Amino acid sequence: MIARPLMILALAALALIATPAGARTELVVDAALDREVVEPLLRAFEQAHPDIMLDFRDSSTLEVDERVAEADPAPDVVISSAMPWQMSRVNEGFAQPLVSSEAQDWPAWAKWRDEVFGFTFEPIVMAYRLDLTSFMKPPATHADLHTLLTEQRDLLRGRVTTYSPSRSGVGYTLFQQDARYTTRFWDLVTAMGSADVSLEESTRDMLKGISEGRYWLGYNLLGSYAMVWAQDHPEVIVQVPQDYSLVMMRMAFIHRDAPNPAAARVFLDFLLSGDGQRVIAGETPLFSVRPDVVGPYTAQRLRDQVGDRLYPIPIDASLLAFVDPLRRKAFMERWRREFGQR
Amino acid sequence: MITVDGSLKARLAIWLLVTVSALGALLLVEAYLSSERAAERAYDSQLESAALTIAEAVQWEGGEPVVEVPAAALQILATRHQERVFYAVLDADGDIVSANLEMSIQPEWRRQVTERTVWMHVDNQDVDWRLHGREFDSAGWESQDPVQIWVGHTTEGRQSLTDELFEQAVTRFLAMVLLAGLLMLLTMRVALNPMRRLRRVLRQREADDMRPLDARVPEELRELAETLDSLFAHQRESRDALLRFTADASHQLKTPLAGLQSTSELALKSDQPDEWRRALEAVHSGAGRTSRLASQLLSLARLRHVADGSAMVRLDLVMLLRDTVMDWAQRDVASGHDLGLAELPDTAQYIHGEALSLRELIGNLIDNALSYTPPGSMITLGLVQHDRDVELFIEDDGPGVSPEALERLHQPFERGGRQDTEGSGLGLAIVDSIARRHDARLSLVPNTPQGLRVCIVFPLTAQEASP
Repeated sequence: MIARPLMILALAALALIATPAGARTELVVDAALDREVVEPLLRAFEQAHPDIMLDFRDSSTLEVDERVAEADPAPDVVISSAMPWQMSRVNEGFAQPLVSSEAQDWPAWAKWRDEVFGFTFEPIVMAYRLDLTSFMKPPATHADLHTLLTEQRDLLRGRVTTYSPSRSGVGYTLFQQDARYTTRFWDLVTAMGSADVSLEESTRDMLKGISEGRYWLGYNLLGSYAMVWAQDHPEVIVQVPQDYSLVMMRMAFIHRDAPNPAAARVFLDFLLSGDGQRVIAGETPLFSVRPDVVGPYTAQRLRDQVGDRLYPIPIDASLLAFVDPLRRKAFMERWRREFGQR
Repeated sequence: MITVDGSLKARLAIWLLVTVSALGALLLVEAYLSSERAAERAYDSQLESAALTIAEAVQWEGGEPVVEVPAAALQILATRHQERVFYAVLDADGDIVSANLEMSIQPEWRRQVTERTVWMHVDNQDVDWRLHGREFDSAGWESQDPVQIWVGHTTEGRQSLTDELFEQAVTRFLAMVLLAGLLMLLTMRVALNPMRRLRRVLRQREADDMRPLDARVPEELRELAETLDSLFAHQRESRDALLRFTADASHQLKTPLAGLQSTSELALKSDQPDEWRRALEAVHSGAGRTSRLASQLLSLARLRHVADGSAMVRLDLVMLLRDTVMDWAQRDVASGHDLGLAELPDTAQYIHGEALSLRELIGNLIDNALSYTPPGSMITLGLVQHDRDVELFIEDDGPGVSPEALERLHQPFERGGRQDTEGSGLGLAIVDSIARRHDARLSLVPNTPQGLRVCIVFPLTAQEASP
C-alpha cells in the first residue's frame, strides 16, 4: 500500500525524463535583456510550466528589431528595451492582442492596444566612482551635471561616459526623451562634447569603465544594471537624479506569426502575473510595475524613495516619432552639431 | 353577423405593435447609420487635426521639404482608442519625404488630392484603415512646390463609438416604446371608459324600459347611442301600436258581443216565439259580423307579424288585377255600383309578390270603396306604368275623405269619420300591411272633382327575366 504513491512518483519522474523533446511545446523568446539579469524569472517560469521548453535568445535591440520582420519562423515573444522600435513594430501590425485578465488589469499607462506591455520599471540613473567625491560634490541633478561639466571641464575631460545615440537604441531614446523635457538638454550636450565625453554602447560597458577607473562619472545608465553592479562593486555609487528621472520599460509582445501562440500567451501572462512580477521585484533589479507586489525592486518602493520625480517614457503613439527617419536624422545632426562644438 | 374576436385592447395593442415594430426597424437602421456618420465625423476631425499638425512641421531645407513629425500629431492620430497610425508626407513628384508604414499611396489618389481633400477607407493587410489626404502649399526660398500629407488610422475606435452611440439610441428607443406602451394602456383605459359605462347602463335596464339612454358619450359612440335610442323609440312605438290595436280590437269585439248579449236577454224575457225568432236572426247576423271581424283581426295580426318572404314569386300584376276585378264584379255586393277597369298597359307588369295577399289587397280596396260610397258610384281600378315601378290605383266619385282624416286612414279601426257603414275599419290597415310587405308605397289622395283615389306603387322586377 505504501509502495503505491512511491510508484506513481517514480513513474512521473520516468515520464519527465522519457518525454521526447518534441512533445514539449517550444517557445522562442527573442529578447534584448541580459540573460543573467533575468535568469530567476526564466527559472520560475520553467518551474511553473514544465511542459513548455523555453528558448531564450538574448541579443542587442537592433538584432531583435530586425528579426521581428525577417526571422522565419518568427519568434513567439519579442522583448526589447528599445521602446520606440517595439512600438513601431506593433504599429506595423506585428503583434497580436493578449486577451486575459492579467492583460486587462495591467495599468493603462504601461500597455498599448493590449498588444504590447511594459513589464519592468527601470529608472535611468547617474553613476559615479567614489574617487569623484574627493574632487567635487557629485551631481544630483541634470543641472549639477551641466555645472560640473562646465566648471570642472579639464578635470573631467575624458572621464565622463554616456550612451551613444547613434549606436544604441536605448541611448537614442533616452536623449530624445530628455530633449522633449527641456531645451537646456542641448547645453548639456554641448558641455559633454566640450568635455570629450566617451560614448558607449551599453550600460555594462559604462559600468565596467567606471569600475576600472577609466571613467569617473556615467550619465543615463539603466538603473537596473547599475544597482546590481554597485552591490558587487563598492567603488560605484548609483545616483537617481533628483530633478527628474526617466523610467524605461521593457516592452514585450506576442508576434503576429508566433508558431506557438498559446505558449506565448502563457509566457506573457506569467510576466504580467503576480508570480512573475514577484520574481522581478525580489530576484531581479528590473522593478515590478504592479502596485500590489511587494519586494526590494518595485515601482512603488522606488516612488517612495525618489518621490514623484519618476517620469516613465510613455507607451503611446508619440514614441513613433522617435523612429521617424527624418526626425532621427534631424536629431542626430543637431547632436553632432552640439556635441562637436569645441 | 359581426365577428370581432378578442378584446378591442388586444386589437389596438397588436396594431400598435406591428406599426411600432415596422417604424422601429426603420428608426434603428437610421440610428445605426447616423451613429456611424457621427463616429466618422468625430474621428475624421482628429485625422484632420493630425494632418494640420504635421503640415505645420513641414519646412524647406535646401530645396527639399523636411518634416520632423510632431509626437503630438501621432497621439492625435492614435486617439484614445490607441489606433494603429499611418502618416506619409509626399513631395510634388509623389516621392516619399517621410512615412512610417509601407502603405502605398496610389497615383490615382495623389491626383485626386491635388483637386480636393480625400477621405477613404482602405484595406491594408486585412485591416480597415481610414485615410485622409490633403495638399498644402508651402513656400521655401528655392522652391514653392506643394506637399501632400496623408494620415490614417485603424477603425476600431470608430466602430466602438458607433456601437456606443447605437446602443444609446436603442436604449432610448426601447425606453420610449415602453413608456408609450404604458401610456397607451392608460389611455385605452380612459378612452374605453365610456363604453364600459354604456354597457353598465344597458345591463341595468329593465326589460320594458324603452326610454332613451340619456348617456353622455364621446363622438365615436354617439352614433351607437343614437341608434340604440332610435331602436328604443321604434320598439316603444310598436309596443304602443300593439297596445292600441289590442285595446281597439277588444273594444270592437265588445260592441257586437254586447249587442248579442242585450238582444238575447230581451228575447229571454219574452215568451213570444216570434220575438225569439227575430232575436235569433239578429243574433245570427251579429255573430256573422263578429266572426268576420275576428277573422279580419286575425289576418291583420298575421300580416303584421309573419314577415316571411318565402311565398313571394314573380307575377303579372295586370293579370292579377283583371282576374280579381272580374271576380268582384260578379258578386252581389257590387251590383249597386259601377265597378270597372281603366285601360290597362299592353304588356305584362311583373312584380315580386304573393298572389293571395295581393288578391286580398285588391279585394279590400274594392270592398272599402263599395262600403263607403253611395250606390251608383263609379269605382275604377287601373294600372299606370312608370319607369321602374307600376302604380295600382282605385278611384271613386263618392263623398271622399277630409284631408285631416287622410293621414290616419290606414290605421286600424279608422273609418274616415264615418260610422254609418258595416265595415270594421281594418280594410286599409290590412292593405297597408300587405303593401309594406311588397315594398310598395300606399298613398291616399282626393280624387277630382270628388271622391278618393288610393294609389299603391309597386317596384317592378327586372324585365329580361320574363318568361
